[in-house]
Amino acid sequence: MMNVLELRGLTKKFGDFFAVDNMSLQVREGEIFGFLGSNGAGKSTTINMVSSLLRPSGGEIRILDRDIAKHSRFAKMNLGIVPQDLAIYEDMTAFENVSFFAGLYGLRGSELKERVEEALEFVGLSDKAKSFPKNFSGGMKRRLNIACAIAHKPKLIIMDEPTVGIDPQSRNYILTSVRKLNETGCTIIYTSHYMEEVEEICSRIAIVDHGKIIAEGTKEQLKATITDVKDIRIGLKTLDGLEPALLQSIPGIRVLSVQQDEHAVRIQSDAAVDNLSKILKQLIDGGMEIRSVAEQAPTLETVFLTLTGRNLRD
Amino acid sequence: MWNEIWFLVRMTLLTTFRKRKNLILYFGLPIAGVLVSTMLYGSQSSPDLRVGIVNEDAGKSVTSDTIRFVERLDHVKLVNTTREELKAKIAASDLDAGLIFEQGFADSVLQGKPGHIAIQSVKGASVTSYIKSMLYGYIGNVTAMGTIAAGDGGKFQQLYDSYQAGAFKLTSESVNDTSKTKEMSYQSIGFLIMFMMTSAVNLSQLILKNKENRTYFRVLASPVSSRTYVLSNVIVNLIVMIIQIAVALFFMTVVFGIDPGIPLDAMIFILGLFALVSVSISLVIVSFSKSTASANALQNLIVTPTCLLSGCFFPRSIMPETFRRISDFLPQNWVLESLGKLQAGDTLMNIGFNLVILLAFAVVFFLLATYKFGRNNDTRNFV
Ligand SMILES: Nc1ncnc2c1ncn2[C@@H]1O[C@H](COP(=O)(O)OP(=O)(O)OP(=O)(O)O)[C@@H](O)[C@H]1O
Ligand SMILES: [Mg+2]
Repeated sequence: MMNVLELRGLTKKFGDFFAVDNMSLQVREGEIFGFLGSNGAGKSTTINMVSSLLRPSGGEIRILDRDIAKHSRFAKMNLGIVPQDLAIYEDMTAFENVSFFAGLYGLRGSELKERVEEALEFVGLSDKAKSFPKNFSGGMKRRLNIACAIAHKPKLIIMDEPTVGIDPQSRNYILTSVRKLNETGCTIIYTSHYMEEVEEICSRIAIVDHGKIIAEGTKEQLKATITDVKDIRIGLKTLDGLEPALLQSIPGIRVLSVQQDEHAVRIQSDAAVDNLSKILKQLIDGGMEIRSVAEQAPTLETVFLTLTGRNLRD
Repeated sequence: MWNEIWFLVRMTLLTTFRKRKNLILYFGLPIAGVLVSTMLYGSQSSPDLRVGIVNEDAGKSVTSDTIRFVERLDHVKLVNTTREELKAKIAASDLDAGLIFEQGFADSVLQGKPGHIAIQSVKGASVTSYIKSMLYGYIGNVTAMGTIAAGDGGKFQQLYDSYQAGAFKLTSESVNDTSKTKEMSYQSIGFLIMFMMTSAVNLSQLILKNKENRTYFRVLASPVSSRTYVLSNVIVNLIVMIIQIAVALFFMTVVFGIDPGIPLDAMIFILGLFALVSVSISLVIVSFSKSTASANALQNLIVTPTCLLSGCFFPRSIMPETFRRISDFLPQNWVLESLGKLQAGDTLMNIGFNLVILLAFAVVFFLLATYKFGRNNDTRNFV
């Protein structure tokens, strides 16, 4: 099967800082590929290099098996990009915005008009075609941002956090349209901070940390990598007086994170070490009131926490 | 590439000029500039002097001819009145001045000793001096004829008739010289230059604005290159300025009827050359600015003061020598100087040096902007 996108040792340095560090990756035709990483992991930097906005410090990027450094126009024509920061004109109507961006790819006349209408229909903004985005909700702007990227029918669409900061209804709309796009034959790369989204729609996932890919595979493959880890969630009455450092010193504990809004402590620990009693004793000795204890089936979040030692949404 | 440029130009023009605010900003202001110029320079001559005439020497042809002479002076309107009314009307400033021809005026002129005439005004000498000098010149001449004729009625009449014919010819062609309209057109162009420069910066700023709203980067992710993008911005800019020039010249020459004293094609050529200079300067400003705010600050720092120094708002001749030296290095000055030379009768051929200087300004600024844009690209911040 053809690789729609391939990264070979891709590197980007800002001064002495490696934002992207020797990254290699293959995205195959027809995939919805999830790109997971916490803030500053290097996702947007990678995407900016793929869309020719940044010049790599090293390595190679291939789109549809062609080096984009040599076939820049070909690469751009086949790429649709949904930037993390909204890129729409406030003083153009929704229709004009999509026409403008589709026009950049050489579409003109009645073909342009048809494609624009199709794209607006796709994101559910047909009835807002003549309205200006300044009156749009955050979710509607995000959807328009997507319409601008798909009207020219690219083979590969890269969405950089398309659901950040929007209402659940718009988010569902966007997730549905991502699936529909995929069904029409589009390959999609999807970055998000929301684990559930990625778990829901992505067929394969790469986890990025400090500019490197630290794990890659299907959900099941990723979860299988952490069978030696158990995921414990302890609900507390209050977090006041909690001393995470004391817990951390208990043998077997790999990652400990405090979930402020849920009054809970989340612990990833070696499955082979029996330490639950020690943990609970430590908490009780510290005067903490325990509300619940649960061992969870590993989720993508467990994988992420275990591998990076960080919450995705820190 | 030209297909892409044309597409970008069309979209930019469309979105810019469907806002009434921009129409006023780009085309209303140059028209207002012409209007202001006509008012600035027109006011010095336009209001008519209203002169009250009290004729107590009725029935004498010398007297009525004198009155007719005054009536035909430019910018003078006569109102027949009486001594009593005259005082009141001048006090109420219904009239600017009054002329009283007492009984015996005509006879005194014929006898060579003019008298029995009085001039009244509240505005003082400056207002009446014009009438006075014209009138006394006239009376002096008639008196001289009376002296020559020495009481010979027929001889006087002969001299008098031939003089009347000449005197009126003289006055009718007097004040209407071309200096006023030249000043008006010079001033209009001064304003136009200023507005061209500010709108050039405003339009080039679209590049910065689109960086701020991220669309610039989205465009660069498409097959359109940054060079194409900037070039289309330059073309939009030139189109707008050419329309500005056309609109301003149309209003100046056709609507307000001001004759600049220069062939229109020469004027368009020089202003077109200056349009290139404005665009290049605006690109330099934009290339050195990180945001639209800093571009605005630079514009205020550069455009208005240099326009002032080059004499866009008032003639350079009233400025101190050092300021005039500085303005030798400002392109606006070279445009105004070129127009001044053309007004004085030079042809485009004669002022080739000025044209080369203007072109050099444009080339240097374009190169500077290109260089700076190129360097910006190395460190541009996308994330
Ligand atoms: N132009 C730049 N100059 C210097 N450092 C940069 C530049 N762009 C990005 N970085 C740094 O590179 C790192 C990766 O940034 P990037 O935006 O790619 O992260 P990300 O994974 O997209 O994060 P987020 O989830 O917040 O969008 C960050 O530490 C960032 O500060
Ligand atoms: Mg990002």
